Amino acid sequence: MAEEKFSPEQSLQLIQSMISRTKQNMSDNSIYFLIWGWLTFIAFIGQFMLKHVLQYEKHYMVWLVVIIGIIFSIYQGKKDEKKVRAKSWVDENMSHLWLGMGISFFVLSMIITRMGWGTEMYPFFIMMYGLGTFVSGNFLQFRPLITGGIIAWVLAIGSTWVSYDYQMLLAAAAILFSYIIPAYMLRRRDKINNQ
Amino acid sequence: MFKDLDPILHSQLRLAVISLLISVKEAEFTFLREKTNATAGNLSVQIQKLKEAGYIDVVKQFKDNYPQTICKITPLGITAFEEYVKNLQSYLGTNT
Repeated sequence: MAEEKFSPEQSLQLIQSMISRTKQNMSDNSIYFLIWGWLTFIAFIGQFMLKHVLQYEKHYMVWLVVIIGIIFSIYQGKKDEKKVRAKSWVDENMSHLWLGMGISFFVLSMIITRMGWGTEMYPFFIMMYGLGTFVSGNFLQFRPLITGGIIAWVLAIGSTWVSYDYQMLLAAAAILFSYIIPAYMLRRRDKINNQ
Repeated sequence: MFKDLDPILHSQLRLAVISLLISVKEAEFTFLREKTNATAGNLSVQIQKLKEAGYIDVVKQFKDNYPQTICKITPLGITAFEEYVKNLQSYLGTNT
């Protein structure tokens, strides 16, 4: 880049072009939504099958699949950190949001267990899924995630009318609409943007 | 009345660096070099000037045994950039 004097018009063009270059640098967030989306979706369907269809007592054991998600997230996070040479505010906010969400899920599970609420917990979880994707959609400027968050909130209220077993299916639907479908759409958008 | 444009920012490479840093939390030297297409020597000199003006912070560290230079815009740098853009707009008559 030359160091000669340049006009105010060229200054503005340069600023615009540099800012748009940082936009191309957004990291791929859809992979986390896909992994966590599919894992929890399979877990909800699996738990429903084990409990409702097979009447297996320890149906909740299916949630051990969360361990795969945690290991994957740590591994992928470290890999992304090595690759990324500019840390954007979006990435910073996203990692804080989802770390906070993870802790909140843990705290919520503790509260539910301690209070002995047992079977009435899924509406709270579905509500939390909605919060995570609604805020993420805003950070990433991606409407399908915002819509997915709203759908999850509606399903959270709706799930209070059905039994525990069917709450699992509504939770799976919430995951489908707020994580999985928007994640595939996000992946497609990023692919087009990076071309 | 037209105000003089900040001479620290009214230079192609320094303005490019500040424009890149304004939209990220922090960036590596290699990232700035790639986006500006500048030579390492020239970029180092301009980064040093921005640092001396207090517009950016520069941290040198090691990552996986390789030296790494991280640049980050300071609050003073943000103010200077905003002022620069405002002056540009008033010069070009684009502000309302």
